[in-house]
Amino acid sequence: MYRRACMLVLLIFCSHRLLGQDLSDLQIHGYANQGFVISSNNNFLSMSTSKGSFQWTEGAISVTDPINDKLRVGIQLHMYQIGQLGGPDVEVDWALGDYKVNDWFGLRAGKIKIPMGLFNKVQDVDSLYPWALLPQGIYPIENREMNLAALGGEVYGNLSLGKHHGNLLYDAFLGEGYLAMNSGYGRQLQEYGLNFPTDPSGRNFGGDLRWMSPKGELTLGASAQSQALDGQDASGSLHMPPALMFAYYAQWTHGKLELDAEYWRTPLYPVLTVNGVTVPVPIDGRAWYPMVDYRLAKGLTVGTYYSHWVNKSEDTSQPANYSKDWVLSSRYDFNQYFYAKLEGHFLHGIAVGYDAQTNPNGLKDNASILAARIGFAF
Amino acid sequence: MNRHVTTCALFALLFTAAIARGQDIVIIANPSVQISQISGAQLRKIFTGVRSRFDDGTRAVPVLLTGGPAHEVFLSKHIGDTAEEFQTRWRKLVFTGQGSMPRQFTSETALLSSVAATPGAIGYVSRPPEGNAVKVLSVVP
Repeated sequence: MYRRACMLVLLIFCSHRLLGQDLSDLQIHGYANQGFVISSNNNFLSMSTSKGSFQWTEGAISVTDPINDKLRVGIQLHMYQIGQLGGPDVEVDWALGDYKVNDWFGLRAGKIKIPMGLFNKVQDVDSLYPWALLPQGIYPIENREMNLAALGGEVYGNLSLGKHHGNLLYDAFLGEGYLAMNSGYGRQLQEYGLNFPTDPSGRNFGGDLRWMSPKGELTLGASAQSQALDGQDASGSLHMPPALMFAYYAQWTHGKLELDAEYWRTPLYPVLTVNGVTVPVPIDGRAWYPMVDYRLAKGLTVGTYYSHWVNKSEDTSQPANYSKDWVLSSRYDFNQYFYAKLEGHFLHGIAVGYDAQTNPNGLKDNASILAARIGFAF
Repeated sequence: MNRHVTTCALFALLFTAAIARGQDIVIIANPSVQISQISGAQLRKIFTGVRSRFDDGTRAVPVLLTGGPAHEVFLSKHIGDTAEEFQTRWRKLVFTGQGSMPRQFTSETALLSSVAATPGAIGYVSRPPEGNAVKVLSVVP
């Protein structure tokens, strides 16, 4: 009752503010894309990719409004369907108030994107990078929900180090993270017989520190975050003590050329209790990639990367505990709104991107995958 | 007839390209902006969303053209981006909740009017403006 009253007061207050405000600066942006994947062996990302699958659709729409010089509010609604993951519900990708005191200190509160590595915040915005799939060892698309956003707040800023020493950008957040039951991890829990009515969640905090060279060509940075999770249903529970994850990264751009590299360590030690039986599921993930892309002609970008992931807490010689992926990619921008991507993956190991339910006859150790995406953004 | 049209189109294309290559850009600002010159690095930071204030601490409001030769020359010369790269740079901020896109105008006349009317506004045009509704900033290395 008290919560409803508070919500009502907040709604009336916000409506009043909105009605009294000039909405000429209101901005609406969005994106949508459609993918196709076909694989030589195995079914990838919970799709029937061995026959070719179009079950890869994503879209979002955002609305932002600057209330005044320092305060901005906004929300982005997002939906995705990747095989059996995601959809059909529309979810809040982020929703926040952003109070920027000056360049070196600002505050955001609400549902915020988690700062981690080079691409974490933009994982679900396909139009922003040349690749159909980001390096799956670090940015596994089926499990990205766990790293994407947190309910809480962050402080951020940009410190100028002088004309010849570049800028230092920082970002620190504190909040509640969650594991979406419609994600890859959620499906794995269901395979154990755990089907939590609400997403398991827990304390989530961390930060990112990056240095940018004076002309912005070179970025060096490091991120860390701690995530705990707890969930319970009638048949059992999930408990993950705070897991401390680290990322180190570098990005260099020079004209038409861009080089990126990252190293992540993600030691997760979740413990499942199913019908009274305790099942530890240790994952000590070590992942890295180097990538390069080059703008070959107006609108046309080509690139390649190698993505490497191993689970150090298990026998790393077994295909079930590693994933090594060579990738060749191209992207063509028809104009500033429409684009298309075509990408080949040569995948060794079965640790990333596969699940048992869509591969009932088992998995082969190697597979080749062709992924295509078309999309637009405005 | 077709050959004549093709020849005309080719000349028009070459002429536009020549203008774009040789064109200079004039940086303009609202008269409330206290500075008379700006460094190339600061200009880049303001137009890429890295900084939101001038060196004197006053708020900077970048405004843009939606496209055209002046827009492309400005991006190439002062930002080091193509139009697509620049768009992507801002969309990163927009789609992650970290920023709002600068106002964009389809004509230099509309951009000039906006800069003249908005305290802290900074923009660019292809030729020095007449009158004193806006001030011209010189770009220093």
